[in-house]
Amino acid sequence: MSYVGRPLARGEDERFLSGRARYLDDLHPDDLLHAAFARSLLAHARLGDLEVEAARAQPGVVAVLTAADLTDVLPPPVVEPPGMWVADAGHPILAASTARYAGEPIALVVAESRALAEDAAELVQPDYEPLQAVVDPRAAGEALTRWEKSGGDVDRAFAEADVVVARSFALPRLVAAPMETRGAIAQHDPDGGLLTVWLSFQDPHRPLDQLAHCLGRPPESIRVVLPDVGGAFGSKGAVGPEVVAVAAAALRLGRPVKWAEDRLENFLAAYQGRGLEADVELGVTRKGRLLGVRARLYADLGAYLISTTAIPMHTAAMLITGAYDIPAAEVAVVGARTNKVPTGPYRGAGRPEAAYLIERMVDEAARELGVDPVELRRRNLVRAFPHETPFGWTYDSGDYERCLDRAVELAELDRFRTEKRPGRRLGLGVGMLIERSGGNWESAVARREPDGRVVVRTGSSPHGQGHETTFAQIVADELGIEPTAVEILWGDTEAGPAGVGTFGSRSTAMGGSAVLEAARRLREEGGMEAAAVFESGLLFSSGCYAAVVEIDPETGVLEILRLAAVDDAGRIVNPLLAHGQVVGATAQGLGQALVEAVRHDESGQPLTISFVDYPLLTAWEMPELRSAFVETPSPLNPLGAKGVGEGGSIAAPVAIANAVVDALHGVSVDPPFTEAKLWEALR
Amino acid sequence: MKPPPFEYAAPHSLDEALALLAEHGDDAKVLAGGQSLVPLLNFRLTRPALLVDINRVEGLDGLERGRIGALVRTRRVEREAAQPLLRRAATFVGHPQIRARGTACGSVAHADPAAELPCALLALGAGVRLRSTRGERELLLDDFLVGPFSTALEPDELLLELEVPEQPAGTRVGFAEHSRIHGDFALAGAAVVARPDGLVVSLLAVAERPLRVDLPAEATADPGEAASLAVRDLEPGHRRALAEALVRRALEGAE
Amino acid sequence: MKITLEVNGGTVEREVEPRLSLADLLRHDLRLTGTKIGCEHGVCGACTVHLDGEAVRACLLLAVQADGHRVTTVEGLEAPELRAAFHEAHALQCGFCTPGFLMSMGAFLREAQDPDESAIRAALAGNLCRCTGYLSLVEAVKQAAGRIAPRP
Repeated sequence: MSYVGRPLARGEDERFLSGRARYLDDLHPDDLLHAAFARSLLAHARLGDLEVEAARAQPGVVAVLTAADLTDVLPPPVVEPPGMWVADAGHPILAASTARYAGEPIALVVAESRALAEDAAELVQPDYEPLQAVVDPRAAGEALTRWEKSGGDVDRAFAEADVVVARSFALPRLVAAPMETRGAIAQHDPDGGLLTVWLSFQDPHRPLDQLAHCLGRPPESIRVVLPDVGGAFGSKGAVGPEVVAVAAAALRLGRPVKWAEDRLENFLAAYQGRGLEADVELGVTRKGRLLGVRARLYADLGAYLISTTAIPMHTAAMLITGAYDIPAAEVAVVGARTNKVPTGPYRGAGRPEAAYLIERMVDEAARELGVDPVELRRRNLVRAFPHETPFGWTYDSGDYERCLDRAVELAELDRFRTEKRPGRRLGLGVGMLIERSGGNWESAVARREPDGRVVVRTGSSPHGQGHETTFAQIVADELGIEPTAVEILWGDTEAGPAGVGTFGSRSTAMGGSAVLEAARRLREEGGMEAAAVFESGLLFSSGCYAAVVEIDPETGVLEILRLAAVDDAGRIVNPLLAHGQVVGATAQGLGQALVEAVRHDESGQPLTISFVDYPLLTAWEMPELRSAFVETPSPLNPLGAKGVGEGGSIAAPVAIANAVVDALHGVSVDPPFTEAKLWEALR
Repeated sequence: MKPPPFEYAAPHSLDEALALLAEHGDDAKVLAGGQSLVPLLNFRLTRPALLVDINRVEGLDGLERGRIGALVRTRRVEREAAQPLLRRAATFVGHPQIRARGTACGSVAHADPAAELPCALLALGAGVRLRSTRGERELLLDDFLVGPFSTALEPDELLLELEVPEQPAGTRVGFAEHSRIHGDFALAGAAVVARPDGLVVSLLAVAERPLRVDLPAEATADPGEAASLAVRDLEPGHRRALAEALVRRALEGAE
Repeated sequence: MKITLEVNGGTVEREVEPRLSLADLLRHDLRLTGTKIGCEHGVCGACTVHLDGEAVRACLLLAVQADGHRVTTVEGLEAPELRAAFHEAHALQCGFCTPGFLMSMGAFLREAQDPDESAIRAALAGNLCRCTGYLSLVEAVKQAAGRIAPRP
């Protein structure tokens, strides 16, 4: 009886269905204090002296901290992608003399209740000297990152091209908007010196390192614990200033301090995703061979660099050739400093941007050549693996054409190509996806309990993915026991083991392989406990999404008639859970395509600060999804698995975009494809 | 997003409630359904010193032919209102959880230009009855709705009930709206009342308050033409095009 | 202000500030943390509870308004078929929205007569989920409504 590959329902569901799951704000340590932040009202301003006495005197207020109180606390460290120049612009914990985005924390108020803390925080407002706010990444005078990469003979490619297609695109910023906002509880034990931090976070490892750096404490003096986490989608991977401030406050106050971010704060101050303007050129022969691609990317990075701000644009640039065997490529990335909240990874984290650019360009090239866009793809797909891109990434395995064919079939493109819809505009679109996942390492420790159970501690941590079940399936197969006899533990740096983190859809392949190896060792060595560290190079999932849309020219209302998702994530450990990831990612991709966009006015004031301004799709809008898996196992791990969590957010937006542009007979529009935008485009 | 502190009173009689409003005027806000007020409190966009909760006042929940009392929940309007146009419009108000608490009178007093019930009531020629310690007055809804979130309600007044006139025999009614997301605020919407003596169209979300357009009865015969007439004073653009399509849809589905 | 209310069948007496929401009373005073707070402006539905048997937003109710009323939270919800259907259909991932959906759908299924997919989707639209993409939720509610046989 093999459990890997079976669509098992999740063993962990009970606590979520009964209401007994415990998320960050459900925790109530004794003697708890509550934090709220005074935040800048202006997007760019010099700050005069901060009046804190009125706030300090408020009932129930225990402390008001400003930048002056935290001079020895450092901004979180910034990850520098290989080769990229990165400015020294970490996020200050509390704004000192200048505020650089509306919502930037200026002071921390700690009080006996959240309501009292908010009352007091309102009283901390400096004199503002307004400064010019930069909101357009193209017009920004300052860059926080710069990078240029070139591979293959680009000049020759463009010289030889019969047609050079040149287009520009704009992808607005998005909000990850997990249902559970961010949060932290910090508690310092004065006797042992241990600082314990409970975090609603994607993993405990990266925040531990970041906090150690910021607070200037050895890592061993900090313990990070994850409760149940209510979604993250990339937005809970990098420590923000609020968490550091709360930890610093706990060190000073001798009582635990909780920050339970509210939804308004999340819209204002949680780091956002995407935000890109791009100019792209694609060189093609008359016969439809893609020779080269050049792109200039202007990233709307925001006011500061949080630890992972620089990464998505690096990924986007690295994947500019997409699923195609394009021999030459050149990308220049300018990470513009704008007076907005910083950006960082959000589901897809650079892969959706790359897919959007290359897949739109392929459709534009098809239109200029008078070739069917599916056919043009077929002529250029990577077929031989491993495949090294001009930028040096190696795609491990795949069958891109099979994904394309299957998606076209599931979406019934051939049927709709000839269908007539009087009075309506029909459009067909496809989008290939490349998802870079895996990489680095993960670890696991497996132990036999006297009662026959096997307890496995993993460095991966779930926030909805179902690791407790998928990892149990892996262990069950390895040891010949039932998954119900396996307990998966995670999320406590004190209990361990160490790990890299849960992001970029890496946990099944990396965490799962470490779990498999630990279980294998347990079986082979015959002892009571075995540990394993699993390392791997990058893994590349792939796939193709296809859409048929219909636009009512009278109203601009768009209807999705068909949506197909074909994902190749290598070996699927649990098809039920994997399918759940596909549907969930697709819903976010559709949100990106149809309704979601962060907006600011010219002075940098954020206009999208609630679910009324920034709507999420509901069950009413979600169309039927025809989905299939193609499984080309990865040779790089014993499971043969790759990442499955982001395909929909990578390819669904551009499949819809290509279908929309097709319905508009070639008028290029940027997302979100609102009724007004489509109506205008048809005038 | 915790609200700023406020005093709270839950009077059991109308006189008590009105006395509080008279005493505190602008510093007090009436709490009925709370579905619009509480979000404003949570965002700290409004800071009343006193909340006058009228949910315990007896006799305000009358729903009968022609009258809707201050505490009649939108859900009751959806299920029990005599006027079919109101039953239909109410189904578009948010979600069932909102309709369970929100009130029709509250929606009218809040005067969101995108709200469904004020729009439908306007098309029906409804009126409002306002009471204070100074007495009572009646206004046509058309005169009561001033602008976005702005009405003729004085600080010491309570919107006691809505008066819905009987429509002549043979009247058909219809309602249509379009929102991006189900239950979200509409981009545009239309209520139509096709009476033997005239066609009344009321539009939501196209202006600073619902817009009423009176057309001749014959216009009903050609929904496309009627729709075009109904929106002719709007600025050209998407919203007008959408409103026009919705008027036509409401007319075509009128029963 | 002193309030007395019934919560999940038991009587509760508390002294509360007027501005305390019912959601916060439940979660922090009564430690019934199953009810979640997701937006505090009535859109996401994570805070849905039953007030006198009707599904309402606990974030939009003041605790003082619940005085004398009957409140049911997810901890007190009797809905074994619904929970089983959620489990079988994988209608939850991170689980944060799940209590709200259970409360909304528990109320819906009590009243709905043989709902079709359209009615189910409209009912589900009153709660937000960012993880599942909703299709498994539709499936779960269909199962629970008895329209289709449970997954083998």
